[in-house]
Amino acid sequence: MARPTTNGLAQALQALQIRPTLPARPVIRSLAQQRRTYAIEVEAAAQQSSTPTPSELPPTELAPAAPKIEFGSFLSRPARIVPASPSYFSGSPRFIDHVLALEDLQAKYASLPTVAASEAPRMAWFKLAQFRDYVGEPVPMKKYKILVKILQRLNRIQPDMLPEEVKTTLKSFLRPGNPFAVEHVSRTVDENGRARAKGKRKESTAVVQLVEGEGEVIVNGKSLVEVFQRVHDRESALWALRCTQRLDKYNAWVTVRGGGITGQAEAITLAIGRALMMHEPGLKPVLRKAGVISVDARRVERKKPGHVKARKMPTWVKR
Amino acid sequence: MASSWCWSCLSRLRVTPTPRAILPPQSITPRVASASFHSSAVQYANPTKKKGALVTQKYRQGQTLRRKKKKTTERARPPAVGERKALRKRIVLSNPNALEVEGMQDLSAETMVDSRLRGSVVGLPLPMLDQLRAVQAFKPKQGWSIFRRPGTVLRRDTLEMGRLFEKISGEGSVPEKGKVVKKILTGLKGSGKTVHLLQAMAMGFLKKWVVISVPDARELVSGETSYTPLEGTSPLQYVQPNAVSALLTRTVEANRAVLSSLKVSQTHNGLPGLKPSSTLEDLAKLGFQDVAVAWPVFQALWTELTATAAAPGMEKDFVPRPPMVVTVDGLAHWMKESAYRASDYSSIHAHDLVFVKHFLSLLQNGQASLKNGGMVLYATSTSNNPAIYTLEVALEQLAARQAGISPSSPDYPSPEAYSGADERVLELFKPTTGKEPQFELQTFGGLTRDEARGYMEYFARSGLLREEVNETWVGEKWSLSGGGIIGELEKLGRHVRSTAQPAPVSV
Repeated sequence: MARPTTNGLAQALQALQIRPTLPARPVIRSLAQQRRTYAIEVEAAAQQSSTPTPSELPPTELAPAAPKIEFGSFLSRPARIVPASPSYFSGSPRFIDHVLALEDLQAKYASLPTVAASEAPRMAWFKLAQFRDYVGEPVPMKKYKILVKILQRLNRIQPDMLPEEVKTTLKSFLRPGNPFAVEHVSRTVDENGRARAKGKRKESTAVVQLVEGEGEVIVNGKSLVEVFQRVHDRESALWALRCTQRLDKYNAWVTVRGGGITGQAEAITLAIGRALMMHEPGLKPVLRKAGVISVDARRVERKKPGHVKARKMPTWVKR
Repeated sequence: MASSWCWSCLSRLRVTPTPRAILPPQSITPRVASASFHSSAVQYANPTKKKGALVTQKYRQGQTLRRKKKKTTERARPPAVGERKALRKRIVLSNPNALEVEGMQDLSAETMVDSRLRGSVVGLPLPMLDQLRAVQAFKPKQGWSIFRRPGTVLRRDTLEMGRLFEKISGEGSVPEKGKVVKKILTGLKGSGKTVHLLQAMAMGFLKKWVVISVPDARELVSGETSYTPLEGTSPLQYVQPNAVSALLTRTVEANRAVLSSLKVSQTHNGLPGLKPSSTLEDLAKLGFQDVAVAWPVFQALWTELTATAAAPGMEKDFVPRPPMVVTVDGLAHWMKESAYRASDYSSIHAHDLVFVKHFLSLLQNGQASLKNGGMVLYATSTSNNPAIYTLEVALEQLAARQAGISPSSPDYPSPEAYSGADERVLELFKPTTGKEPQFELQTFGGLTRDEARGYMEYFARSGLLREEVNETWVGEKWSLSGGGIIGELEKLGRHVRSTAQPAPVSV
């Protein structure tokens, strides 16, 4: 058996169906079953019993290689070989097959009642890159969106009336390990009243344990004053507590590693803000306004070859 | 009608003059008079300047090129020698622009033990300022210059010290006259160690004690003053006559009233110029008039001040001697090799300097030395601080002893093997024996919230702080200052206004 390739003829010439001459020359389209991508029109009717019918093939296997066509075994030589899939000669036949199959499904079950989009079960469809891997074709973003649109329409069918056929089809487009199935566990204050949270900024990482107290802060086992000599850094480290006026209500025990002074201070800001939200989730809007929740993900831009720094070019010299 | 001439031919024609016959007739290529760029008439233009060559030579004028010389601007002269240092060391104790705080009390024998005043700022009595200046109790950058008059916070440590002063002076409810309290002060930067020394000196002056102060321990070991070997000592020790003389000067200046009231009561063989009727002030003056005898004079003064009774035959004018306050700031400098060199160019250990050793020995035999009682306060510094491992270990040992860990227990800290710990330092910090009281380690932390509030209110009442000083505001500053570190509180208080203001809570 040859390896399945996108354009290999050998792969495609698998299911030979020999029929009596038909004026309309019907082509068997099998979109749901990917393995059969070719149909052959023959002039003389001769049924080949040796060729497996589509239903005999294992349905799970995607596009197995077709056996080599034995032209000698035909009773009469086929006039021409026609691909089973009408999209065979397009750039992305398998993708189009999928789209056509989904369109068929959509048309078939168009009459079923639907629910609002917000009430439909949340599904994690393939990301574009994953889908490209799945079909093995370079699918453009815009076209993939069309496919997702159909999927979403099918997903909106009232769940208790969803046909099994649609269910399985939809399932085949889900990302492995359905991310929306994972229940998000929100962290809470532990039994000793400690809220533990992390924060990052630049190269620094801070871990904060926040307990109710009188406003004492220890950073790496030292006083805040020893670690941050600049008042500004101290203020920014405790900004989450300060802007909510909770400075005298919590004690913080901080471990901060890496980076410089400013980065460490701002990593602590973030960590304290998150820890504070565990104690008082209602403070979230205030903290967001204070800029404590949104993460500053900027990092140092890399140096490029030909540049002196990330962007700086060497001085222009005439000769 | 289009011309039959192509453009390229025409242009070529114009560039290279060719026989006129080739040129097309005027009617075919009409000559366009090109308009000048400017539309104004040529006559209105400025008259063209005459060329330089045409300027006629004046009579007997030199023909060499003359350029205007650049004027040399008078540069400001660098300040005179010592002026910069004077500016750096200048101590300003008053700011006439600051408001006078109404109802501020002065430090006095009553207020220094009044626990109701805890957290409030008391002013240093104005007549005492000269004395405090003389012993160099004020340091630059302590923020004295932002207030109308110098004042200090009465914090818990201050009040405790005030009570000790009362006890040792033989007053109060539980007098302990003649007791010696020895303390080593440590703490974070800006936690008020040096100001604590200042408060001790101020209390000493209030109680009419004798105040002896080494304002900067570094100066004695950094090789700035002269030194000579002391004869007849083994191992060889060194004396610093100029430093001793300077200390005598400061001591006399600050304690003139006390010293002039005390008469010499012992016989001093090394000082023939001393009359039996002279006062201790006269005795000390001998030292700074003649630097060579400064050390014997200091020793004589010390014997006089610590005397409990007069020598036989001199009892006539004997007055009981007052207790003494001895303060040293920057102790760590005395725990290492000094910058001085011996004759074989080996470093001289700070403990081999007789003057330094005299003060350090008070830790081990303070009670024996200061028979009239007193207070020995040695502060470490964090702003100018050599890293001395042995001192760190020694202070840890001291803290452990204070926490009740016996020196024989395995938890007792000891220097690591091969760390090259200085035996002399460890020896100095070993627990005292016999009747000698142990010396204590006093670690300075921050102010409490109430004290911090009193301190910040003082800023507000001086007109430096224009914000409402309330519980939340003080709590915020208390946290930002690392738990009420007073130096940091001062920085926050003198900030005009921080740029970022917290948004009002709308929960």
